[in-house]
Amino acid sequence: MRNCRHHIDRLCAGAFAAALFLVTAAATPVAAQEIVKIGEIEAQTGALNTYGWMSSQGMRMAVDEINKAGGFEVAGKTYKLALLNPDTQGNPQQALIELKKMLEQEHVRFVFGPFLTNVYKGIEPYATGFDGKFLLMGGATAIHFDLGKPKHDFAIRTWNWDAGASGFGSLMVANLKQRGAKKVAMLMQNDAFGHVARDIYAPLFKDAGIVFEEEWFEPGTTDFSSVLAKIAANKPDYVFPGYSDAVLYDIVHQATELGLTRFWLVRGSLGPGLKNKDYLDDYIIYIPKYFEEAQNTEPKVKKFVADYKAFYKTDFPYDQAPLCSSSCYDHVFMLVEAMKRAGTVDDVAKVKEALLSFTYNGLWNIRYDATGEEVFNFDVVDIKKGGKIEVTHIAPK
Amino acid sequence: MLQLIVGQLLNGIIIGTLYGIVALGVTLTFGITGIVNFALGAFMAIGAYLGWFLTDGLGIAYPLAVPLAVAITALIGLAADQTLFRFTRNNLINGLIVSIGLISVIQSLLLLAWTTTPKNMHYVLPGVLNFGWFIVPKMKGLVFLILLGVILATYAALTRTWAGRAAYAYAQAPEAATLMGVRTRLLQTGVVVYSTALAGLGGALYASLYSLEVSMGSVYILKGVEAAILAGIGSVMGSLVGGVVLGVTEAVGSLFFPQAYRDAYGLVFLVLILLLRPSGLFGAGR
Repeated sequence: MRNCRHHIDRLCAGAFAAALFLVTAAATPVAAQEIVKIGEIEAQTGALNTYGWMSSQGMRMAVDEINKAGGFEVAGKTYKLALLNPDTQGNPQQALIELKKMLEQEHVRFVFGPFLTNVYKGIEPYATGFDGKFLLMGGATAIHFDLGKPKHDFAIRTWNWDAGASGFGSLMVANLKQRGAKKVAMLMQNDAFGHVARDIYAPLFKDAGIVFEEEWFEPGTTDFSSVLAKIAANKPDYVFPGYSDAVLYDIVHQATELGLTRFWLVRGSLGPGLKNKDYLDDYIIYIPKYFEEAQNTEPKVKKFVADYKAFYKTDFPYDQAPLCSSSCYDHVFMLVEAMKRAGTVDDVAKVKEALLSFTYNGLWNIRYDATGEEVFNFDVVDIKKGGKIEVTHIAPK
Repeated sequence: MLQLIVGQLLNGIIIGTLYGIVALGVTLTFGITGIVNFALGAFMAIGAYLGWFLTDGLGIAYPLAVPLAVAITALIGLAADQTLFRFTRNNLINGLIVSIGLISVIQSLLLLAWTTTPKNMHYVLPGVLNFGWFIVPKMKGLVFLILLGVILATYAALTRTWAGRAAYAYAQAPEAATLMGVRTRLLQTGVVVYSTALAGLGGALYASLYSLEVSMGSVYILKGVEAAILAGIGSVMGSLVGGVVLGVTEAVGSLFFPQAYRDAYGLVFLVLILLLRPSGLFGAGR
């Protein structure tokens, strides 16, 4: 009986050793092709999805292209990307929940977004607790003010609008002065970005000698007649309106009915301007790239447009595509390049250092300045009455 | 400044009729079924989305799309009445809970169908009417005339037809009206369906003026209830006046105070009125 038991034990040990060998052998190819998780916290739906939808679209494409090409090699290992991009709907609470999941459960080290200042303000206190453990690469204007602050090494700003030494805030105000503007009325949503915008532009207008008046509206407002009538009574040269398509369609339409026909520093898409093209005189929108023109002159843009159509099997969203300049397609390739240069996919400090050291030539020419703020070329589109479009290309030094 | 005030008075009156049409639905439903149907705002959103979808999505001419949207909204209202509200008659709390639950259901269905991305209808009637001193967008003027016509027609129907008088009788003395041959169930169902149709009409017309998003109705139901309370629940013409007073208060108030707090101006006015006349402007005093 004892002998029999001894044989069984030996048999089990042998079987265990064989199984261990098989498992190890099977695991070897998997280990050679590891996964780097990247996250994204952007609004893909909702009233403010203008500032997130295209980012998520471009990011999916970039991840797919990199993975289909076999991944990328860092320090002798081949990696593929896994993208976690839940929809925050532009809601700071939802964004916080998603960020917590990414950092605490998924152990993600590279997170793209947010584009919205109010969302950034909602996650920033939590994010500081993970400083040094991850990178947050978002376009929110409020990130500009946190760059270089203690406990904010995690922050990288993937846009240069409004604020920043290489941003266009002061440039735009100078441009407006050249157009002969003496008075500008800002009509902005009463939220975090609205107040950040006021804080940036009020001094710039004052320095330029342009009279600046401000009016505010609550999120969810659709009838702007009263406040626009008040603005119209003061006869401003330009209206500097709220920042998302959700309100711009209503504001621009109702403003033109009251005789306000010049709009400046409009952001969002060309949609509200083009819809009202017969009723306005000037609709100056600052967009990162005018794709309708660029696809005929830039091969990379042409390829991107074709790839987008093939990937999503739908028309190319010309109105949304310019917003791919922040935390989007190019930025994924840039992050991968930074990992290669840093020789690590884990050490966020080294990856950040590498990220800030080169210029990436993709859809845009992108680099980061010493503070971690993006510098890139952008276009200014001026829609004239009837829909005639004039484009100016600007490449910051 | 006077020009500005007159312009906003007119604007407030026009917007007020939109509040008024919802207030009319609130007051009719409460008078006949004993519940405050907070889901009327969601029915307004249904009407708005249907108006937009039928016009821009299916290419149906707007003048045809509006009655179609109203009819579909009324059918959904009928389904809601037969499956839900029928069991909450004269029970304020249950009715309130059911109507609030229904808001979530309707909003979720709208989200499923059309996502949270705001929708914009093409301009149905662009341009403005210029009266020298002030201007009125043509579509806003047309919406005002349609809503005013519907409210006046409702008032006429309630006061000059047998069914209308039966509704009034039932609202004043339900048992006596029943004994006099008023078909109570049919009347209650009819009023619930008519109220949802009114909300649907308000929504379909709203779609021609503003961008749409699924929670748009929540603002209007609050204004509608405010307007109904301001006027005194039960008063048909009071609903119109209440809505207009609210609209004018907000529009003119926004001229002198920040627009960001426009909702508060109407509420302050409501509180003042209720302090002076607790039963509302047109409500029967004790």
